[in-house]
Amino acid sequence: MAPTRDRVRATASGPSAAPPRGRGLQRARRRAGLLMVAPAVLHALIWIGIPLVAAVVLSFTSYDVLTPPRFIGLENFRDLLSDNVFRRAVLNTSIYTFFTVPVAMGIALLIALMLNTRLAGRAIFRTAIFIPQVTATIAVALVWLWIYDPRSGLANAVLSFLGLDGPAWLSSTDWAMPAVIVVGIWQGIGLKMLIYLAALQSLPTDLYEAASVDGASKFRQFFSLTLPLLRPATFFVFVTSVIGAFQSFDQVYILTDGGPANSTTMMTYEIYKSAFREFRMGYACAQSLVLFALLLFLTLLNRRITGGDRATR
Amino acid sequence: MEYTRRSVLTALGLGAVAAATGCSASSGNSQATADGPVEGEISLLTPLFEGSTGKDLLEGKLLPAFKQKNPNVTVKVDYTTYAALNEKITTSLAGGLMPDVVMLGVGWIPPFAHKKVLAPLPDDLAKRYEYEDRVLEPSRYDGKLYALPMVLDTRIVTYRKDLFAEAGIKAPPKDWAELREMSKELARSDSSGKLSRVGFDPFSIDLRQCWETFLFANDGNLFDESGQQVKFNDDRGVEALQLFLDVIKDKSADYSFKSAAGQPTTLQQGRSAMMMSNNSLWVQLKKQNPELLKEDKVGAFILANKVPAMLQGGTMVARSASSKHAAAAQALVEFMGTPESILPTAEQRGSVPGVQDLRTSDYVKENGFVKLALDNMSKARSEGGTAAWMEIREKIKTTLETAVVGKRTAKEAIDELANLSKEAISRL
Repeated sequence: MAPTRDRVRATASGPSAAPPRGRGLQRARRRAGLLMVAPAVLHALIWIGIPLVAAVVLSFTSYDVLTPPRFIGLENFRDLLSDNVFRRAVLNTSIYTFFTVPVAMGIALLIALMLNTRLAGRAIFRTAIFIPQVTATIAVALVWLWIYDPRSGLANAVLSFLGLDGPAWLSSTDWAMPAVIVVGIWQGIGLKMLIYLAALQSLPTDLYEAASVDGASKFRQFFSLTLPLLRPATFFVFVTSVIGAFQSFDQVYILTDGGPANSTTMMTYEIYKSAFREFRMGYACAQSLVLFALLLFLTLLNRRITGGDRATR
Repeated sequence: MEYTRRSVLTALGLGAVAAATGCSASSGNSQATADGPVEGEISLLTPLFEGSTGKDLLEGKLLPAFKQKNPNVTVKVDYTTYAALNEKITTSLAGGLMPDVVMLGVGWIPPFAHKKVLAPLPDDLAKRYEYEDRVLEPSRYDGKLYALPMVLDTRIVTYRKDLFAEAGIKAPPKDWAELREMSKELARSDSSGKLSRVGFDPFSIDLRQCWETFLFANDGNLFDESGQQVKFNDDRGVEALQLFLDVIKDKSADYSFKSAAGQPTTLQQGRSAMMMSNNSLWVQLKKQNPELLKEDKVGAFILANKVPAMLQGGTMVARSASSKHAAAAQALVEFMGTPESILPTAEQRGSVPGVQDLRTSDYVKENGFVKLALDNMSKARSEGGTAAWMEIREKIKTTLETAVVGKRTAKEAIDELANLSKEAISRL
């Protein structure tokens, strides 16, 4: 080991400088390390740390942007407990997440498995499936607005062709949420598929060869090898999808405006309304903290259940 | 200096609070005076001139005319829409960049004047031109004038004369009982029993504004004169909402009978015989269905029950209290409030001019809906009237909608709205 250490010392201090003492080298390394992480730390501090602390502080105030914040203790949180619309938003967000995340993950995995084979024109399929992810939600939502139009939309035209009477998708309290969920699933498949595909392509082939030699069927290989090996990817996809679903905003903003009768309102939409339409910044901060706490809880719970991003082999 | 975890956290917390309070401090609480030279670069936030036509009018005609009169003033325009105006103002205030001149909707003056965001204007500006008292009411707060009306938007009832004639109905309804009966007669269903034409479409405009129109026609009020007491939760408010439920129950109206933005309205398509409408429908008809106007197939009337009433909204122009170039900002406010600025703006949007002086203009004479609105301006009522309006206005549609979709009774929805409004007022 000694010659290697000497080489490192020589490299660190330059060829002409005298070899520094152990403590000096450590300090130099620490300084270099700090310098390297400084931009990331600064970025996190300015764009995440300060807003987070500000949100916590402001959640205990009555702040309308127009006048200075006034400390009101836990009043915002007490108001939250009796806010029927926010409760409805929490429920709607949970329902939306419950349906969009697993369904989109399942479809994405299925598509990734198909695209991982020697399928003709798979690059075209891959691009087509990823397009919704990179298309502006505004444009996507406008297309879906037309699809859901009760009189001239595609959805009811297809149903009518099948002899079924389609509903007024976005004006019905029963159908508005399923309609939004379908858009959420459709839009979320692309990125999940891409992550799964990348994970599938990096799986070790030796294990599959061994399994084939042992006579394991493709079905058995999928459940006993592929799924366990995909655990880190699944954990990542699940956590980011849950966070994404809890933060979904634009579909609702354009498709339904949270209606009818709050049947599609989401937590982020309520936060936006409180802050920018009702000028209740303090209350919006309290709502944001509830969202933050929920996401933290779900992430930790998922980590505990799935064992986090540790792969099994 | 040694940085401990505690010292870093304390510094972060103090920094965050400083940032938060710093935001509010920059919003400017001092009342800027309009004295001093009329010069400098000022900003204008407007929801009125969106789109290329609006931009051409503002930057190609109005602002050059202003510049000619005020050569030392430069105006930077920030375009927005009414949907995004709130966000624009909130973020401007939070960033300490409140525009010098801002165009606001009816009902918005009390909340912003209460918080001293707007500067009062000299009262003699209210006497420069011939204003209807009702039109100036929303421009005032606490006895002071804060804005000048530019264009007005009224909510009237439009109807298809050909469909009325077909049903043997000779005149528009005089009250809600007649309205309900006529709606039944005018509604049509297809062979499967599905509504193909509604007799009356109250949902063609925003539910909040529609209910307010009905409330006013039932001689009701939103708030008392002080803006501290809720007044809409009596029988008059409940009856106004109940009428929507009744016409749905009669199968002469349908909440899902909506036209997408930009599409012809249900009245234009012949899918409704009567429809709540904005006076700008005239311009839309001229563009999309000129034959309906040519053949005199569309008429309009003022909604009436206990009293005739129309909801009057509109756009007003006001000066920020924190403007560094107060005199220049006030000059722009005064300029935008002149008939020379108002007429082309109203023409562009199919709106009602905010000054009575323009009643004799060709534009008003040839636009039937605008003429009807101006002739009935004494029956106009406006929304707002409380400093908590910005919060309350957001609650109205979503709360009333629960009754319209059958989740609550009209009384339950109105009571809920009253509670939410009282809470909002108590927070002032």
